[in-house]
Amino acid sequence: MHVLARALAAASALVLATSAYAQGGAPNDAQIAGIVVAANQVDIDAGRLAEQHASNADVKAFGKRMVTDHTAVNKSAVALANKLKLKPEDSETAQSLKKGGADNVANLKTLKGAAFDKAYVDHEVAYHQAVIDALDKTLVPNAKNAELKALLEKSRPAFVAHLDHARDLQSKLGK
Amino acid sequence: MNAVARIVGGLLVTFASLGGANAAGPAASAPPSKAGTHTVLIENLRFVPETLEIRRGDTVVWENRDLVPHTATAEGRFDSGNIAPKASWRHRFDAAGTLAVVCRYHPTMKAQVVVR
Repeated sequence: MHVLARALAAASALVLATSAYAQGGAPNDAQIAGIVVAANQVDIDAGRLAEQHASNADVKAFGKRMVTDHTAVNKSAVALANKLKLKPEDSETAQSLKKGGADNVANLKTLKGAAFDKAYVDHEVAYHQAVIDALDKTLVPNAKNAELKALLEKSRPAFVAHLDHARDLQSKLGK
Repeated sequence: MNAVARIVGGLLVTFASLGGANAAGPAASAPPSKAGTHTVLIENLRFVPETLEIRRGDTVVWENRDLVPHTATAEGRFDSGNIAPKASWRHRFDAAGTLAVVCRYHPTMKAQVVVR
């Protein structure tokens, strides 16, 4: 599969899965916590790979940043879940995210050099856009607990900054 | 010394001290007598305020209120290194000028400090 098509497929899996809630009922707080943890973990895994295998120094640094930032967000999410006695619950969306992440990593492992960098960055753009959409359309509106809602809102600017950063890398790699 | 000589002498001393002050340059260029401390919040992946005006000798404290780590960096001038969430870092500005400040981790974060 073409790398961009693959990135879009993974991202649209998330959009489809989250929009499924529109018909089938909203995710509860435990499921939302599970989705947040899965979303961050997926990007940590891809970032670790980029840290090791990217050829472009800026892409490598971006991968490292994704590991650091998403680890930090997850730490806050897990701490809040513990405080609220909320056990992150699996859901169709969380599973779809994990599968999309595993497919992405498997694909990246077959690539080298500039092809790896491009595929990784393309996927990062699509992934961050999909997570922002999920936050805005599904996760924030459905979060019942005020602290959980606040944490989701507080994590949003990081996803936006990462998206802009990834887009900037994408345009530089394209040259 | 008679009274007139005493008064003239006093005036001369006053003149000399005024002249001395003028020779040292206008008062505006002297370091401020009382240095201030300013806070820049790092929140929602932005520096707040994005433009900060301060005086020479003032100190700026960058306070990270985000979930993720940041830096406050003016290339070639200063670099905070890692500022962890809930941590802060301070720097004193002794020279006038406008400094562009970025977060090395997040290139979308830009600000400036104007030192007068």
